[in-house]
Amino acid sequence: MATLKHRDKTYTVKPGATLERALRELGIIPETVLPVKEGKILPPDHRLEEDEEVELVDVISGG
Amino acid sequence: MRCTICKKPAVIKLRHANLKLCPEHLVARVEKVVAETIKKFRMFTPEERVLVAVSGGKDSLALWEILTKLGYRADGVYLDLGIAGYSERSREFSEAFAAARGLALRVVRVEGELGAGIDGLLRFARGKPCSLCGTVKRYLLNRVAYEGGYHVLATGHNLDDEAATLLGNVLRWEEGYLARQYPVLPGEGKLVRRVKPLLFLSEREVAAYCIISGIEYIYEECPHAVGARSIALKHVLNELEDRYPGTKLGFIRGFLKVRGRFEPPEPVELRDCPVCGMPTAAEGPCRFCRLKERVSHGAPA
Repeated sequence: MATLKHRDKTYTVKPGATLERALRELGIIPETVLPVKEGKILPPDHRLEEDEEVELVDVISGG
Repeated sequence: MRCTICKKPAVIKLRHANLKLCPEHLVARVEKVVAETIKKFRMFTPEERVLVAVSGGKDSLALWEILTKLGYRADGVYLDLGIAGYSERSREFSEAFAAARGLALRVVRVEGELGAGIDGLLRFARGKPCSLCGTVKRYLLNRVAYEGGYHVLATGHNLDDEAATLLGNVLRWEEGYLARQYPVLPGEGKLVRRVKPLLFLSEREVAAYCIISGIEYIYEECPHAVGARSIALKHVLNELEDRYPGTKLGFIRGFLKVRGRFEPPEPVELRDCPVCGMPTAAEGPCRFCRLKERVSHGAPA
């Protein structure tokens, strides 16, 4: 399984799905996050691989 | 996915601009948009001294980086708000950024100026944290800019910030605020001009700019902003943006065209605060000096 980390939550996703599809299935609006791995942004058509870990960097700040 | 401009592998899709961009062209686009915004609204000239209000977050650090790369004379000011843990961490990011680039950063402790940091103030002050904090920040940033001889104070408000503010003002039909919402607030006397050069950049573009440029910033949210109305408004706008790309940009651009239809409030005569000498609309001491007085007596504000 691949892992997506978003704030304090960790999601496991089947490998083979694109990031865009995985985000949609998790109910996360792609506009609100940037998928990052080893300091680099991954494109929405990136296919998740077995054991891959991706951080979803929140882009919304406020106050 | 290929970059619309150079056909190299793209890392980000900007649906509102109909662009897919590689890291290099995302950086180039962000800097170009800022350069054009500064010129379009005549925010400042290369000869003028700019003070960037730096929080340690992505927007203000990106703004400082961009202004420096564009050749502007930009120093930074960091207000240590005295919010336990959060202020120390955001200060570290700000200082590390400035030190790595050899830029001048002024650090001002709110506790030193007011007698209490924001945490201390909230223990006995009435009012919402973001509103009180806003009062303190506006006053101190202006005073530091004025006393430092800067021509302009630049803040990192981005498209999402401005669209959320606009939506909030429209929902309550705050005509006075609508008439005043603009990327340039002119300076007058001891009030220093304020500008928002990131107005046409989404938060996502700014965050991507930081990641690609290796700018390290504080991810965590201010603990007092949790549940803030501005964040809820941003979520609503992002849901609309997802369904109808370009919503936020169209909202702001459209507003700038019709903004003149809103009646500005009656001009208020500003006088010098008898305590600190800074401009105020109040009879007697300004709001900051009244807060300070109450802090010194430990009385409710």
